[in-house]
Amino acid sequence: MTNMNGMRGMSVVGKRVLRADAYEKVINGKGFPVNISLPGMLHGKLLRSPYPHARILRIDISRAEQLPGVKAVLTPKDVPQIPYNPMFFMPVTSAALTRDMLILSDVVRYAGQPVAAVAATSAAIAEQALELIEVEYEELAAVFDPEAAMRDGAPEIHAGVKNNIRDTPSFSAGDVEAGFRDADYIFEGTYETPRVHTCYMEPRVCVADTDRNGHITIHASVQHLYGLRERMAYALGMPVSQIRVVQPPYIGGGFGSKLDMATIEPIAALLSAKTRKPVRIEQTRYEDFITNARHPMKVHLKTGVMKDGTFVARYASTVLDTSAYATHGPVVILVHAHFGLMLGYRSPNLKWEGKVVHTNNMPGGAFRGYGAPQACFAVESQIDEICDKLGFDPIEFRLKNTRRAGDPHPFNPAWTLNSYGLPDCLKLGAERIGWAARAKPDSGSGTKKRGIGLAAHPLWVSGCVGFPDIYEHSGAIIKLNVDGTADLASATIDIGAGQNTTLCQIAAEELGLAAGSVRMSCGTTDNLPFDAPTHASRITYSSGNAVKVAAAAAKKRLLEVAATVMDVHPGDLEVRDGMIMVKGSPAQAMSVAAVVQRAESPYVVIGEQGPMPTTLSEKGTIMGMSSLAPASNPSPATAQFVEVEVDTETGQVKVLRAVFAHDLGRVVNPAGAEGQVEGGLQQGIGFALMENMIFDPDTGACLTSDFLDYKMPTAVEMPSRIESIFVETNEPTGPFGAKSLSEACLIVPAPAIANAIFNAVGVRVRELPITPEKILAALGKL
Amino acid sequence: MKQLITLEVNGDKHEIAVEPDTTLLGVLREHLGLLGTKRGCDSGGCGCCTVHLDGRAVYSCMTYALSIQECKVTTIEGLGAEKELDPLQDAFVKEGAVQCGYCTCGMIMTAKQLLADEPKPDEDTIRHGIAGNLCRCTGYHKIVEAIKTAANA
Repeated sequence: MTNMNGMRGMSVVGKRVLRADAYEKVINGKGFPVNISLPGMLHGKLLRSPYPHARILRIDISRAEQLPGVKAVLTPKDVPQIPYNPMFFMPVTSAALTRDMLILSDVVRYAGQPVAAVAATSAAIAEQALELIEVEYEELAAVFDPEAAMRDGAPEIHAGVKNNIRDTPSFSAGDVEAGFRDADYIFEGTYETPRVHTCYMEPRVCVADTDRNGHITIHASVQHLYGLRERMAYALGMPVSQIRVVQPPYIGGGFGSKLDMATIEPIAALLSAKTRKPVRIEQTRYEDFITNARHPMKVHLKTGVMKDGTFVARYASTVLDTSAYATHGPVVILVHAHFGLMLGYRSPNLKWEGKVVHTNNMPGGAFRGYGAPQACFAVESQIDEICDKLGFDPIEFRLKNTRRAGDPHPFNPAWTLNSYGLPDCLKLGAERIGWAARAKPDSGSGTKKRGIGLAAHPLWVSGCVGFPDIYEHSGAIIKLNVDGTADLASATIDIGAGQNTTLCQIAAEELGLAAGSVRMSCGTTDNLPFDAPTHASRITYSSGNAVKVAAAAAKKRLLEVAATVMDVHPGDLEVRDGMIMVKGSPAQAMSVAAVVQRAESPYVVIGEQGPMPTTLSEKGTIMGMSSLAPASNPSPATAQFVEVEVDTETGQVKVLRAVFAHDLGRVVNPAGAEGQVEGGLQQGIGFALMENMIFDPDTGACLTSDFLDYKMPTAVEMPSRIESIFVETNEPTGPFGAKSLSEACLIVPAPAIANAIFNAVGVRVRELPITPEKILAALGKL
Repeated sequence: MKQLITLEVNGDKHEIAVEPDTTLLGVLREHLGLLGTKRGCDSGGCGCCTVHLDGRAVYSCMTYALSIQECKVTTIEGLGAEKELDPLQDAFVKEGAVQCGYCTCGMIMTAKQLLADEPKPDEDTIRHGIAGNLCRCTGYHKIVEAIKTAANA
């Protein structure tokens, strides 16, 4: 790890802290939502359509209802028909949202869409009952290719959506035509990325329980408590206060997939309401695969370059397959365009046009990077092509076009790129990988050839402040205990990245306590302040700021009480390592525990000397609260270097080494940060070389719906050398200087690998995944 | 129709009535409440459900309960002593090999088998040894490090 500009005097932030939840996870991991079981619980199952596009003419549930053990059956006519959008992070009534989904609909738009549901005394009986439900479908013509879906005469998937084009966003700056006229060189290419799945390990699961007043309590494996509550209330036509979402101590991965309400949550609630019993629904892995996935995109990118290597004009168009329902598509494409394609590097003239297209494919969703991996693959591949043709060094070329600290933020000129470390990332990463010794493309001999490649991601987010109609505020409550520890409550969900540990470290640093002295508690939407979801690389920065403010409020009260006891001015006190002391005279000290005991004690204390009054004004639990939006949306910056070996006889690519250099403002927990880099690389290698959801071209059925058919990296495909370089630029608006990390780790590997393959064997593949067949075809061997 | 089987799980004897299609995974989670063993895929694809059956690591989702009459089963709950973690569990915590943790129990059971077969494995042996267990968070990097650490403990 390289600290460029480390802050001094931190005792908890920046330290390699053990995760608080790791101990439980190695002995049994009992806290996962999948382990929730309630007395008398029923089990629910969904019947799914075998057809990709159909109208339901008739459903007969009589045989299913007669099966012993079946307690309830729901069909479209039994559920509210309120169109909704399942995304968690926007207000459910936002004018920017397309609401085109129903809990159960009598029109099917993708193979596997739920059409009915059963609750029974066991999952096996519920499954048996599904087979007894008779559905008569009228099959409709289906279309799976977005280009075909846009043609005149293609099947109409949503009434009134002409040529299946849901949205045609665009963006421009300067005069792109003039820019291309002025350009010395113009480069053009088309870059395609497939539908890939997050492959979280814990299946989606929920348990809903309805009380006698009709209030619903729900446990679920999701990335947002309040988002689930808001969407369930809307789709069920209930006030939000009738739904309580319970915070789990952790969930088994999300990576964006659990940023939506699935069908199971409202269905479990309805089944519970109907049966007056708790109802649990756990998805099968097949159901997990078809719930949502990253949107496939086709990007056409045209770039005008001057002789000196600066961009003068950039034009791009994107076709996004938003699938059967709009869900995230219209939002993903905007993030993709602004933070992926257009604004990362400086260019005076820009134009982008997007098309969000419906098909009869499975729904699209969020996946770490949210549109940026598709963009980064196009932009960073093309930069490599430009450098190869014009003879520029890829690092020098990027440095000519990158932004600098102090520049205005390109997305919102009201902000400044206060901290911005891309030049350092490029420099340090290059040194580490040995960039200077990089050979010319295809200069190796033998059948196994090595190459080094680079990709950067110059602009990304720390949350969503500034994005239209996307939630970003956070809240926290901190309460001090009489043993000198503190409890932290926050509605964030630890999806695996170690958010809870990071937030506890921030609280401990602010409170002057040891790392292990702050514990994350679990609450519900009844008693926790709102927090935006665990997504958008936001928790360390946004929730971290809220936690720091709450801790500062608790500390203020702590020092006020200590001051009355010690008979000094609160301003003269400081707290460190669990001790409160007079500044400059550490002998005059009290432990935090003693001060909290004093605040929590009865007014009159009976000690060995008899009754003794204390001070009334010091009484009360010492706590602090916050609820706020962060001041800005600072950009991290990333450069990834990889070395690959390409077997020119088999087309196999092996990633040998990866160096990831990233400006995250400040490292809070180095082990956690490295874990993000290593896991992001794994998903990036999968995206680059292996992963691709495949569907039957006639029926639209998913053919890669388990881990035997969906190929993702195992330990064998991963390089043993993964190196993280953290550039600490100390973001002034971040908690102790921190901004963000997670998503960038998956955004950059694919183009870095594609560029390394070009360096190794001199062929360029513009369509992911770069399979052995594509390599061999490009080498003229197939 | 249900049939009775006898199993020894983590040293305790159990008599359990199972259906013909009940898996060992179902027995552990639903009959015995041993929730450390996780269901990830039900098709032998992820390894979250790995346990030891008569001293061999198996996918419990691919093992029919009726096929293991009188067998000895060890789950994650059978590892380590009362107040002491198994060296693998300890190394997973200390090396930061746990993120979401859903794969962790199965991964540790596989690693336990690996170290029983090969007490001082090289890195390649470790990587191939855990290739039947998927993790989506860690890139396996710190998992491999943890297994090396445990092997040297």
